Amino acid sequence: SAAMEEAEFDDILDDWFIEYKDLHVYQLEHPTQVIEWTSGRTVCVAGFSPSKNEILELRLPRKLFADENKGLCAERDFKVVHGGFTDRPVRCLRHVPGTRCAVTGDGLSSNLQVWDLGGDDSDVIRRTGSIEGRRRRTGVSEGGSSIAARPSSPPQILHGAQISDVQLTELSSGQTLYQLESDSADPLSSLHFLSDAVFLAGCSNGNIYVADTRTSAAPQLSPPPPPPVSSGESVLWWTDASAGPDPSGCRVVRLSSSGQALVSDLRNLGGAVSRAQLDVQTLRCGPDDVRVSWAPALDDCIAVSGFSGAVQIYDASVWTSELQEARPLFEHRGHAVSPEQSDDGVPPILVTSHVWHPERPRTLLSAASDGSVHVWDWVDQSAADKR
Amino acid sequence: MQHKIQSLTQDSNHTSPSRAERFHPKLLTLQAHANQPRSVEGAGQDVGRSCILVSIGGKNIMLDCGMHMGYNDDRRFPDFSYITQNGRLTDFLDCVIISHFHLDHCGALPYMSEMVGYDGPIYMTHPTKAICPILLEDFRKITVDKKGETNFFTSQMIKDCMKKVIPLNLHQTVQVDDELEIKAYYAGHVLGAAMVHIKVGSESVVYTGDYNMTPDRHLGAAWIDKCRPDILISESTYATTIRDSKRCRERDFLKKVHETIERGGKVLIPVFALGRAQELCILLETFWERMNLKAPIYFSTGLTEKANHYYKLFITWTNQKIRKTFVQRNMFEFKHIKAFDRSYADNPGPMVVFATPGMLHAGQSLQIFKKWAGNEKNMVIMPGYCVQGTIGHKILNGQRKLEMEGRATLDVKLQVEYMSFSAHADAKGIMQLIRMAEPRNMVLVHGEAVKMEFLKGKIEQEFSIDCYMPANGETITVTTNPSVPVDISLNLLKREMALGGPLPDPKKPRTMHGTLIMKENSLKLVSSEQALKELGLNEHQLRFTCRVQLQDPHSDPDTLHRIYTHLKSVLKGYTIQHLPDGTVMVESIVIKVSSSAEDTNTKVLLLSWSYQDEDLGSFLSTLLKKGLPSGLC
Repeated sequence: SAAMEEAEFDDILDDWFIEYKDLHVYQLEHPTQVIEWTSGRTVCVAGFSPSKNEILELRLPRKLFADENKGLCAERDFKVVHGGFTDRPVRCLRHVPGTRCAVTGDGLSSNLQVWDLGGDDSDVIRRTGSIEGRRRRTGVSEGGSSIAARPSSPPQILHGAQISDVQLTELSSGQTLYQLESDSADPLSSLHFLSDAVFLAGCSNGNIYVADTRTSAAPQLSPPPPPPVSSGESVLWWTDASAGPDPSGCRVVRLSSSGQALVSDLRNLGGAVSRAQLDVQTLRCGPDDVRVSWAPALDDCIAVSGFSGAVQIYDASVWTSELQEARPLFEHRGHAVSPEQSDDGVPPILVTSHVWHPERPRTLLSAASDGSVHVWDWVDQSAADKR
Repeated sequence: MQHKIQSLTQDSNHTSPSRAERFHPKLLTLQAHANQPRSVEGAGQDVGRSCILVSIGGKNIMLDCGMHMGYNDDRRFPDFSYITQNGRLTDFLDCVIISHFHLDHCGALPYMSEMVGYDGPIYMTHPTKAICPILLEDFRKITVDKKGETNFFTSQMIKDCMKKVIPLNLHQTVQVDDELEIKAYYAGHVLGAAMVHIKVGSESVVYTGDYNMTPDRHLGAAWIDKCRPDILISESTYATTIRDSKRCRERDFLKKVHETIERGGKVLIPVFALGRAQELCILLETFWERMNLKAPIYFSTGLTEKANHYYKLFITWTNQKIRKTFVQRNMFEFKHIKAFDRSYADNPGPMVVFATPGMLHAGQSLQIFKKWAGNEKNMVIMPGYCVQGTIGHKILNGQRKLEMEGRATLDVKLQVEYMSFSAHADAKGIMQLIRMAEPRNMVLVHGEAVKMEFLKGKIEQEFSIDCYMPANGETITVTTNPSVPVDISLNLLKREMALGGPLPDPKKPRTMHGTLIMKENSLKLVSSEQALKELGLNEHQLRFTCRVQLQDPHSDPDTLHRIYTHLKSVLKGYTIQHLPDGTVMVESIVIKVSSSAEDTNTKVLLLSWSYQDEDLGSFLSTLLKKGLPSGLC
């Protein structure tokens, strides 16, 4: 309709004009919950419908990377460099660094599928095998696995659905190289390697475990801070650990479903270096919905998504040890133009995933429940104003 | 005259058929398997030239006749030696169809028709017919005048070629000859672009040319009905891409124009007369209004003239919104866009100018470019592909020093922006088109070989059809299952209807009995009696007889009666009669009893039946061989 076109046009002008250096908007045939880098220019996405799904490896547009001659490059599209089919949902996808392998989990069991992403001679992604997760104790609800990987030879992955079944598996042989010694049934929300051997396991109840694959010692446990007095509902937590050359300098951010964020030092996980109450809508979230991530190439920046149709960037350097409200440094609202409005019966669009580019400081990819995928490079207005 | 006769009955293995079921008619459709090969010579996996040959039902059709823009020698022309080693192509082709005016689809047409030689019909839509010669002439000028080529077509050849063109209207079936018919469908993409449906007898092919499944600001999306062609040939250049949204492209365009204007620079946008230029004008006009901008926007007069000349053609091919806009006002009555005068190029301050020609190879756009190139505040936005040899091509390749006439060099200091607005179908679009047309087989051309296996798998999985990807020079053969139409005689039809039962249903075939007569090119199904009459043949009846020995102490007539009783209890629903002449009749089967000469307790039953009652006859003989049950009276 004419009115819609007008609104669309205003949209282009208002939000998207000043605030982005680069902006690309794509529509996948089916939404994805995973975005995983497989190289500096390619990502994998995959569907999560109950039955047939596609796994796609997409190459980002050349124009994004053509920094000197951007004007001469007209190529703005994603290129589907490899694709494959799976008959399960893909809730988790991890690329094994240094290989052309990826590992996926369907969110229903702790078993994982192993894939060959393909080389130059073929564009088909093929399943090459599977990895069995450890057997569950009865009475525990099944949930999906978390997966982590770091460069190693031969390739290995760390995976598990709850603390007691976290293990390090060698990909080619399927051999278990390490098992986390713990009886805890805490369900995992994420796994992170801090070094070749030290890893952090974030649980959705807020517990954090740190362990070393070289030892069979029990992991170090840090519980979350006590919940606010008023809350009745159980709170969910998500975690991210910053990468760095020195694991002891690593910082951990914890984010609760009530919007509370805590930054801690790895050496003192029990204490909080800083905290903030984020500006998010705390509607009911599932354990799989929210993502929180440190920017790999931008000091102290944290991205948050999953509470709504927006991706928010926060500058944690201005947070203090006192809990105060924080405003985002930047908000990418492109996925849902008007998050407050929702047509009757139509569920609101939510961001399902986001990732930072490993090197480009302000480039991110985000995906939403309507199948949209955006690639954006935002402009830090505050920095621009300071000049 | 030889006639071929075939008698059709159902092959029945029923053991105890009920009477009604046996005579319940079914219609058999003749299916010819593996006998209708279709060959397609690939347009190959190069990006840059389309020329496809299709053989269907004995007809040869050339689809597009493009030039490969990357080569300077004869490799830029398609290799017509596949059709014939020497001589003209007229005898080998039934028609040529051109999908749209882009040079990689029509650039070699005058070469083919005038230098190789073809005098048959060339089909294309009206806008394509109007615009093709202009682009071809421009192209010829660049190649011959600027690059000094010799083996190239002349202006006269372009004119002679266009005389062979028969224009097409959308959705109108055109009979090329008695057997070959074609129909054009809207393809989007550019003005006048069409997808074409080709039909010979009951076999058909759809060729898409370049198409687009998402509407533009000035063009609609491609559309075709559920025509279920045997083959759908689709371009797949962008099959493995996922397209960035239109909004983002427009954002980029507006941002660049705005930035240039803000710093006091001038923006030159070289365009071809129609289509894309309109879209960009509308975009700028809306933007200027919204942002309350004051810098002038100009449209060069050459453009206006050409545009007005094609106004009527343009209108029917554009989308609803544009059509409404143009009905309400004159095409170039924009509030913020005015006619350009060459003197304005020297005016100070920011401005935007749309000027022809699109590749900066001559004319006003080149003149303006020369004036503005030296100032780094200025910008030139190239909205499309530029042919080798043009200034446009050079600056898009990063050249910053240009050699002009008279050895003068031009320093290119202004900002050069390449923006692609033309729309092609991506993977999602191809799937949408297949869903629309429902082809039986899929052929992907114009894309990159190895990199389409995933798409092939996707198509094969979702639609359960075969997908082919021929390379240049490769012939593929596609097997089809054409349905053969057979006329049924009125008498036969009436007879079948009289038998009652449900009405004919394509999903529920019925058997029927008839005789197929093939005469000349037609097939008809008539009753056997009629066939015999038509052919002057006598009907022969086959009767089978069989002797069954039976131990029975009764007299012959009593045995006969016992048989009668027995059969009556077993064969319920059949007509069984005990006739006064000493026979029992089951339907038309006759049973007689006589005693053996040697032993009166050994009865010999003589069964006799006609061919039509073969099943029942065999059944009876088997039954009676078992003897009679003791409890009969």
